Amino acid sequence: MNRHPPAHKTRLTALVAALCACAMLGTVAHGSARRNESQQVKDLHYGEVLFYFYQQQYFSAITNLLTAQQFQRIDHHRDEAELLLGGMYLSYGLHLQAGEIFQRLIDAGAAPEIRDRAWFYLAKIRYQRGYLAEAGDAISRIHDALPGELEEERQLLQAQLLMERKDYRQASEVLARMHGQSAWAQYGRYNLGVALIKAGDSAAGTALLEEVGGKPAADEELKSLKDKANVALGYAFLRDAAPARAQARLEQVRLDGLLSNKALLGVGWAYSAQNQNQQSLVPWTELQKRNVIDSAVQEALLALPYALGRLGAYQQSLQQYETAIAVYTNEMARIDSSMMAIRSGKMVDAILQNDAVNEMGWFWRMREVPDAPESRYLIHLMAGHDFQEALKNYRDLRFLTQNLDYWTNNIGIFGDMLATRRLAYEKRLPRVLQDERSRNFSELPARRDRYAAELVRIENTNDVMGLANDKEQQLLARLSRVESTLKHLSGHEDISAAQDKYRLLQGLLFWDVSSDYVPRLWQARKELKTLDQNLAETGTRREALMRAQADAPRTFENFSARIVQLRGRVTQLQSRVQAMASAHGHFLEELAVAELTAQKERLAAYLTQARFAVAQMYDEAANAGRGTK
Amino acid sequence: MKDRIIMHTLKRVRRAFVLLSLSLLVSLPPAVSVADTTGKPQATQYKGLDQQAQSLKKDVMELNRDLLALEEELLFPASTQVAVFVSMDIGSLFELDAVEVKLDDKVVAHYLYTQREIEALRRGGVHRLYLGNLRVGKHELVAFFTGKGPHDRDYRRGATLEFEKLTEPRYIELQIKDVTRNLQPEFRVKEWQ
Repeated sequence: MNRHPPAHKTRLTALVAALCACAMLGTVAHGSARRNESQQVKDLHYGEVLFYFYQQQYFSAITNLLTAQQFQRIDHHRDEAELLLGGMYLSYGLHLQAGEIFQRLIDAGAAPEIRDRAWFYLAKIRYQRGYLAEAGDAISRIHDALPGELEEERQLLQAQLLMERKDYRQASEVLARMHGQSAWAQYGRYNLGVALIKAGDSAAGTALLEEVGGKPAADEELKSLKDKANVALGYAFLRDAAPARAQARLEQVRLDGLLSNKALLGVGWAYSAQNQNQQSLVPWTELQKRNVIDSAVQEALLALPYALGRLGAYQQSLQQYETAIAVYTNEMARIDSSMMAIRSGKMVDAILQNDAVNEMGWFWRMREVPDAPESRYLIHLMAGHDFQEALKNYRDLRFLTQNLDYWTNNIGIFGDMLATRRLAYEKRLPRVLQDERSRNFSELPARRDRYAAELVRIENTNDVMGLANDKEQQLLARLSRVESTLKHLSGHEDISAAQDKYRLLQGLLFWDVSSDYVPRLWQARKELKTLDQNLAETGTRREALMRAQADAPRTFENFSARIVQLRGRVTQLQSRVQAMASAHGHFLEELAVAELTAQKERLAAYLTQARFAVAQMYDEAANAGRGTK
Repeated sequence: MKDRIIMHTLKRVRRAFVLLSLSLLVSLPPAVSVADTTGKPQATQYKGLDQQAQSLKKDVMELNRDLLALEEELLFPASTQVAVFVSMDIGSLFELDAVEVKLDDKVVAHYLYTQREIEALRRGGVHRLYLGNLRVGKHELVAFFTGKGPHDRDYRRGATLEFEKLTEPRYIELQIKDVTRNLQPEFRVKEWQ
């Protein structure tokens, strides 16, 4: 038996870090989580939870963990399991439950490293829910550096909290302590830069954003952040009437990145502000070729004729305004028909039609935009946080529907099985109890005792022949019959030869048995011991049978009641899930319609401006014509 | 004259554009998204909906816990329950393909592992390969591991365990370990109590 099974390497800490990081920071930490702590799996069922967890099957991981806890199978990992559960709950948005778990761990005096992590997660929960003072209190209770990337995340959270208190100096100091190349530090500096500019400290904010925007970026995530910083800087410089600096920053933005349209638009305005109208045509003409649903492209449709006007190309300018008017009008009509399509209620299912719903998950992201006319207007909305969160919930609810359907089917099977088992039991038990062997069981101990007493007698009296086997017993009986016959014949005939033969055979038999006496006695004792064991086992089984006879009806009733109760819960949850899915679907549609309405309003504003400009041009041209007459 | 008026008009239009463009900066969200406290009607409405969804998820998870417990107690009562688990320690000397388990000379499980599952095993996860029932008494378990061994060679190894099923659940772990001494994988069968 192995009471101390071998070690398996795990990296719980960093995983929980990744989990909780994702709760707060989207997918920022997911790809870069590193496992840098190892520990031993001492309970197989905890390992089973990790098996699902590592495959990102979190629903299965949570339900297995809850079941293992109920059966008390993961006692060696009690605190770690709680921490893992809290982390998974937190990432599902179950703040209340996660908070209770972390608070419980702290109150129960968990080990310092677990306590520190629990304080950290509590700080995050409080921060997310807007309890900033309480979050600050929780983070101040962390004594030691947290493992792995958690420490950087803690520093970022601390900096965020300081920024919320407008303590930019300290926030800056905290961020300065973070490793320069760390993605967390870069995000922190970006946020601080934006916060400072918004707070009016342009110089400090600009310096931070320039640092982020000027650093070489190794991966897509940091490249995007770099683009973001440069776009933010570019527009800040434009606002501060520093077009040359704006141009320099905006030209750093990748042409194929998500922010390239905004950057091109800004570059155009930077040229324009420096009276380089000819050059401003280049980015705006490029934008004109791009997808018109982008607001920067829409704005460029107006900016281009403006630049042409400044260059004196009035005819071309007028043509471009008219083109813009046609495009805006066309797009507004398309938006109207898209709104109708969305209100028909098919949008969400179209988004998820190719998605295999086999797990719930907060790492899930929509990979493909559905092939529908309205999709082109909703790309930005669909990539946005609100839409993604609601869509994830909707997807999770679809998963829950499947899960509950599965249990509806299975619970019916459980009921059938229980009925079959009860029937079989009711039929078999009386038969078993009435079986002759079963009925004679009470005599067995007495028979055993007689056997044991006989063995003692043989041993005490040295009754060698008492251990003769069946064949020898038969021979002994035959010799006994021979002896009687010889006695009967004695005095009538000469039987001396026969008597000699009898004595010889009797001697031989005795010799055979007595020479084997010791091993036979040992064998007899061994058999008695085996008999005792068998009797004890039979007794145990019989007792179990008797107990089953007494308990089974209660057990069946208990199972039956549980099945009925659980079936009721399944049915009730099914209707709740259905209603909730419908509410989420409706919310997503409303979100989409609101987005389309905003887009339509923006187009309407552009359309008004374009028409106004055209009208002005015609008026001025007409007035000029009258003047020359 | 005409030019001047058009320029004037365009200047007004341009100012409007610059304001629109600068609004982009304001609309740039922080890179690290935080709780939205802007009080937008949509955000408020969604917060309530989201809380209801989370509460519902928790209720379904707890229901699953109770159903899994019922399933196990009903189908695999402790007195007859036997579970076979697979674990892997490091696992760099053996690329696992499949495991087959025989109990008392009868195949009870044959499982093909995906790359994702193997990675989960390597990271410390333990796979419950089989859950079933056995009578009290002596039994024999034979496990066969197939995959690629060192030097990319096909590998098939067996491991055996004779064990006694008592009235408590019996857990058996099939371990795949690297033996660095001879650079060979090792397969063991262990009983847990």
